[in-house]
Amino acid sequence: MGAAHSASAEVRELEGKTGFSSEQIEQLHRRFKQLSGDQPTIRKENFNNVPDLELNPIRSKIVRAFFDNRNLRKGPSGLADEINFEDFLTIMSYFRPIDTTMGEEQVELSRKEKLRFLFHMYDSDSDGRITLEEYRNVVEELLSGNPHIEKESARSIADGAMMEAASVCVGQMEPDQVYEGITFEDFLKIWQGIDIETKMHVRFLNMETIALCH
Amino acid sequence: MFLLLPFDSLIVNLLGISLTVLFTLLLVFIIVPAIFGVSFGIRKLYMKTLLKIFAWATLRMERGAKEKNHQLYKPYTNGIIAKDPTSLEEEIKEIRRSGSSKALDNTPEFELSDIFYFCRKGMETIMDDEVTKRFSAEELESWNLLSRTNYNFQYISLRLTVLWGLGVLIRYCFLLPLRIALAFTGISLLVVGTTVVGYLPNGRFKEFLSKHVHLMCYRICVRALTAIITYHDRENRPRNGGICVANHTSPIDVIILASDGYYAMVGQVHGGLMGVIQRAMVKACPHIWFERSEVKDRHLVAKRLTEHVRDKSKLPILIFPEGTCINNTSVMMFKKGSFEIGATVYPVAIKYDPQFGDAFWNSSKYGMVTYLLRMMTSWAIVCSVWYLPPMTREADEDAVQFANRVKSAIARQGGLVDLLWDGGLKREKVKDTFKEEQQKLYSKMIVGNHEDRSRS
Repeated sequence: MGAAHSASAEVRELEGKTGFSSEQIEQLHRRFKQLSGDQPTIRKENFNNVPDLELNPIRSKIVRAFFDNRNLRKGPSGLADEINFEDFLTIMSYFRPIDTTMGEEQVELSRKEKLRFLFHMYDSDSDGRITLEEYRNVVEELLSGNPHIEKESARSIADGAMMEAASVCVGQMEPDQVYEGITFEDFLKIWQGIDIETKMHVRFLNMETIALCH
Repeated sequence: MFLLLPFDSLIVNLLGISLTVLFTLLLVFIIVPAIFGVSFGIRKLYMKTLLKIFAWATLRMERGAKEKNHQLYKPYTNGIIAKDPTSLEEEIKEIRRSGSSKALDNTPEFELSDIFYFCRKGMETIMDDEVTKRFSAEELESWNLLSRTNYNFQYISLRLTVLWGLGVLIRYCFLLPLRIALAFTGISLLVVGTTVVGYLPNGRFKEFLSKHVHLMCYRICVRALTAIITYHDRENRPRNGGICVANHTSPIDVIILASDGYYAMVGQVHGGLMGVIQRAMVKACPHIWFERSEVKDRHLVAKRLTEHVRDKSKLPILIFPEGTCINNTSVMMFKKGSFEIGATVYPVAIKYDPQFGDAFWNSSKYGMVTYLLRMMTSWAIVCSVWYLPPMTREADEDAVQFANRVKSAIARQGGLVDLLWDGGLKREKVKDTFKEEQQKLYSKMIVGNHEDRSRS
C-alpha cells in the first residue's frame, strides 16, 4: 500500500511536467519497460528491438533525437548515453497534440517546440544552423534505399532545395554572397502560417475502463 | 529412536493407503476411458465448477475495489495510439500541398516537410509496436487464481487469499502428482506399445493396432494435462495423402491434434527422451524425422515430403508452418515450403481459452521442462479446434499466395489477427529487403518528379 502511494505522487509530478494523463503515463511506462528489458534506463541499442522501426529511412536520426541533450533540455549540445523514464516522456511530449483550448501564446509556444525538435534533427552538429552538408546528409538518408539513385542526384536535389530555402529566407542574393545555413528563425519563417500541428503529433486513444460481466 | 517407531508405521500406512487410492482413481476414471475413447464428462464438470469459483472471486474483488476506491480493471485497449492508415504517398502530397503556397508545377522536388511523415511514423512505432505485442503472453481481464497471471490485481481480502492458497495446495499437491503419473504412464505405454507393434509383419492388422496404440497414448497425455478440447466440423478431418496445417502456440498442439486423428509427424531428430519416443514411434508407422544436417537442405525436405504425400496409403502429414510458437492472438507468416508440394491442404485452427491456463510457450523465457511444469500446475487447458474444408493451390497462384490464403482462413475461423510479419522476428532482425521497400517508394516519388521536370 505504501509503495502504491509514492508511485502515484511520482505520476502526478510527471503529469505536471509533461502534460500526459496518468493512464497514458502508465501505458508509456509499460512500453518503456518493454523496450528497456525491465532496466531503469534505455540505451541506443534497445531501439533495435522495434522491428517496425527498421523500415524507417531516418531511423538513426529518430533514435538520436531521443538522446540529444537539446531535446532533453540538458545542454546546448552533445548526446546522452542513456535516458530514464522521465527523459523518455519528455521526448514523447513533443508529439502530444496541441491543446487548442489553451491561449494563443501557449499554442504558439507548443508549435515552436515541435519545430525546434525538427530543427535539431537536421542540425546534427548543434551549431544552430542547417548547413548545406547537413541538408545533403538528410536527403541522402531519405533516398538511401533506392540503388537507382546515384549520390549525384541526391546531391543535386539537396542543392536545389537549399537554394529554394535561401531565396525564401534571404531574398535575392549577390553572386558571391554565401548562404551559411538555415538558422532557427529562418526555419520558422519557412513554416509561417502553415499548419504543421496536425502532422507533428501522435493521437493517443481515449482510455476508458470497461467493466466486464461474466 | 524407539519413540519414533509407532509414528513411523502410521505414516507408512497412510502413505500406502493414499497411493493405492490414487492409483485406483487413476485407473478407473482416467486410463480405462482413455483406452476406449470414452469420456465420463468429469473434466467438463470440473471446468464448470472452476468458472463459478472465478466468477465469485472476481465479484469479491470488484466489491473490495469499490470500497477502497481503487481502479480494478486495466483500460481496455488494443494499443496506446491511433495510427493513421494513410499511405506514404498520400501523406507527403498533403503535406506539400498545405505547405507550398506556389503553383503546383513550381513545387521543389524535395521539401523540408517530407521528414514529417517519417518522423511521426518512427515515433508511432516506438510507442506502440504490433509485432512485439504478439510475442508476450496475452493479458487477462479477470483473475483466474493463478499468481502468474496476476498483473494488476492486488491483495484485496483475506477470503480471497485463502482461496488462492487452497488453489495452490490443490494444484501442486493433488493435481500435479496425478498428472505426472498419467504423463509417465502415457509415454511409457507409447514407447512400449509402438515397439511391440513394430515387431508385427506389415499388414492391415499392424496398421489397425498402431493406430489405436497411438490414439490411446495421446488420449492419456491429453488427460495428463487436463485438456478440455472441443472439436468442430469433424467431417473435414485430414485424409491420407494430404497435409494438415495448423497455427502453433505450444508443443501441446501436437498432442491435441493427434488425439483425434492419426497423423504422420514431421520433425527433427532429438536426443534424450524425445529421441527414444521418436525411434519407437517410427517402428509402428512411417513418420518423417530429419537429421539436424538435413533440415537445412530445403530440396531434400521437399523431396521426402512429396514422396510421402504421393503414397496414398501413408498418413496425412502434420505441419506447423509458422515455424515458432505465437501467443495465440494472431497468426504470423506461413513459411511457403509445405505449400509448394502440391498436395491437398487441410487447415486447422486451434484457439486456446486463456482463462484456465496460458498455453503459450515463450521459448526465450522458459525452457521445455519449466514450460511443462507450468502447464501441469495450471487449472486446465481449454481449447477449441476447427477443422476447415480442404484447399488446393489454384493454377494462377504461387506458393506464397496460397500460403496467405490458407493463413487468412485459419485466422478468420479462430478469431485471430492475420499478420504479415514473420514469426522468425522473435529471434532475428528485419530482412533488409523490407527496409528497402519503403525507401524505394519514397525515392521513386522524388526521382519521378525530377524526371518529369527534366523531360518538360
